[in-house]
Amino acid sequence: MSTLVERLCPDGPPTPAERVPPLVADSGLAVGDERVVDVLASLSQTWLGARARADHPELAALGFFLRPAQLTAMRAELTGSGDGVRRPVGLVLHHPPSNVDAVLGYAWALSALCGNRNIVRVSGRAGALTARILDDIATAFATADPVLARTQLFVGHPHDDEVTDALARSCDLRVIWGGDQAITDLRRAALPAHARDLVFPNRHSLAVVNAAAYLDAPGWQRARLAAGLCDDVLPFDQAACSSPRALVLVGAQPTATAAWRDLRGRIRAEVDGRDLRLDPAMAVEKRVRGYGLAADGVAGTVEFDGEVMTYLGVPDPARLPRDWLGAGVLAIARVDECGDLAALLTDRHQTLGHFGFGREELRALCRSLGSRRLDRVVPIGTALTFDRHWDGHDLLHEFTRHTTISGWVTDAQ
Amino acid sequence: MRADRREEYSLTDQQRADRLLPVVRERVRDHRDRCAAYDRILTAIDTSGHPGTGLAALPWLPARMFKTHKLRSVAEHEVFRVATSSGTTGERSRVFLDQAAAAEQSRRVASAFRTVLGPARLPMMVVDTRPRLENGAMAARTASVVGLLPLGTDHTYLVDEDGRTDPRAVTEFLGRHPTGRFLLCGTTVMVWHHLYPLARDHGIDLTRAVLVHSGGWKRLHEGGVDDATFRSRLAEVSGLTEVFGYYGMVEQLGTIFLGDSRDDTYYCPDLAQVIIRDPRTWSEQPVGVPGVIEVISALPTSYPGNVVLTEDLGVVVGIDDGERPGRRFRVLGRLPRAEARGCGDAGGGPR
Repeated sequence: MSTLVERLCPDGPPTPAERVPPLVADSGLAVGDERVVDVLASLSQTWLGARARADHPELAALGFFLRPAQLTAMRAELTGSGDGVRRPVGLVLHHPPSNVDAVLGYAWALSALCGNRNIVRVSGRAGALTARILDDIATAFATADPVLARTQLFVGHPHDDEVTDALARSCDLRVIWGGDQAITDLRRAALPAHARDLVFPNRHSLAVVNAAAYLDAPGWQRARLAAGLCDDVLPFDQAACSSPRALVLVGAQPTATAAWRDLRGRIRAEVDGRDLRLDPAMAVEKRVRGYGLAADGVAGTVEFDGEVMTYLGVPDPARLPRDWLGAGVLAIARVDECGDLAALLTDRHQTLGHFGFGREELRALCRSLGSRRLDRVVPIGTALTFDRHWDGHDLLHEFTRHTTISGWVTDAQ
Repeated sequence: MRADRREEYSLTDQQRADRLLPVVRERVRDHRDRCAAYDRILTAIDTSGHPGTGLAALPWLPARMFKTHKLRSVAEHEVFRVATSSGTTGERSRVFLDQAAAAEQSRRVASAFRTVLGPARLPMMVVDTRPRLENGAMAARTASVVGLLPLGTDHTYLVDEDGRTDPRAVTEFLGRHPTGRFLLCGTTVMVWHHLYPLARDHGIDLTRAVLVHSGGWKRLHEGGVDDATFRSRLAEVSGLTEVFGYYGMVEQLGTIFLGDSRDDTYYCPDLAQVIIRDPRTWSEQPVGVPGVIEVISALPTSYPGNVVLTEDLGVVVGIDDGERPGRRFRVLGRLPRAEARGCGDAGGGPR
């Protein structure tokens, strides 16, 4: 018997995989479709609401991203009068990550705004936030134009080649949010000749602070930086690809030491003010990883600052660990100047959070990277802020097809 | 009787603390001298994980370090035996023993169990399959049985390769040993799923048996079977009343935390101590308050496993108030493993 696909939203009976794509066969949506804009605007309102915000702060960010002004601007861009026309790509199959639940919301919303039919595969390991997002979408669909329920579908299914194949066969665009293994596995299911993949492989990120600029900054600015670092580090168990795992201080040794001493104290104050709890398994995990790096000679010091934060002093910046080290762990290293950062950046670095550097310094750093990937250079505190540009892709462009038009005669009035 | 219970389990909590502290401190120093990776760890860490005084102030290693790293305090050519265990995730802990350490750990296992088995080796039935090497390694479950084999004679295995039990093997065994005590051993789960139905369905008389068993209770608890049920049902169907659990781990090979004769609490041997830590503050929990189990043993000399933080949750239920002196503790279950839910799971995992 073939594996059945669970229909999570809109809900329906378990369905054989080959009968899932026809459920979203209605091709009645246009790019920037008003009916989609209405639903997204109402979801935005829900997610910006006090209750949602209290349960899941990540939802507020999603709600803010989908605020009416932003929707209007994106809609205008999609439907604008360039030298051509943007249209939906067709059926988009999404494999969002199970760790950063909110990505499911962003990716689906942008693709729906582009007028696509969407099938979103919800991971069985997804957490409470995903369940909340699906609930809210189901509620919104209930009062929305029925075209939504005929074009958008969230499904669950066990890992099963038959199901993966059946869904892949019918899509025009497949979106896979890493990691590398998942991408490799899912790519075994062939797409139709015309279809393509948009993949987000394993990435990692780091934060850099200009030590001298930090010491020159007024107290309020230092405190804001500490809060920003916490915003970047603490959500999603620090496991998002844009979560910084290392903090590199740039400057001479005494300056860097003084800056770090001050910043560390401010992070502690910030964390203490947030009243966070670390679950016991995570506390042990952090010890295993930190002790392991000490055993390997990578970390010269392993310091636990309160219950939440752990700092690994890495004397040789070239050996900065890149793997996930648990929630609330920063590897701390120092380099002399901004240009030295280039040597630390690998092809897998995605986001560089920065403080205290000039525009030209950052541009020169990026230029010196050659073809190595680094997609985002953002102020510390905004590493996790989702943008329609992600991993170097403009999602509004990826989620639409562009028909070029040239050689026209003037339209009749 | 050459070995009685005073020999392995004789010290009060205070006596134990006094005797162990200098020995384990010396071991820690010694391992630092001879195991560079261990020394690097102790140099790097602060004291936040082991606040307290005396034994509690000794720095522990998470048990999983023995899965991720090769930690040994003897030269490679001195390694006589590598003991491994597989965790639930499939990674194996590796513990390196030189000849002296291997001999000492066997002696300790023997003398620990002699306190309940008596000095003579007893005829022995194993509630498992005959140990077999698979790709050069032994399954963890069988490995735990192998350590007990020297305790017995006429080793008889009750489970065949296909997982079936053979009532004839038991009848024949009992025929060969018509009088006197005999030893039964196996994991708790195997005893419940194989020995119990066998005894029940075939009316096997186990009144002369002494059972030693160990291993997780999770599957049994899920089926509504706790220690009291385990004991009473086995007694009902077979007359088996001498039942001892034990707790131990490959990371402290040879250190046997032996169970109470009536319930599921354990006692520390004289060369070991147990500390329950609050996983948030890491300070020692008072009696009755659960936390993460840390085990301290003087035994490891060839690898730095004297002070180990397990991934088990437990609670000290009493001190110097049981069948044996010292701390009496209960194991409450496994600490769930923290998952690296990295941007790496899009397609993964069954629902």
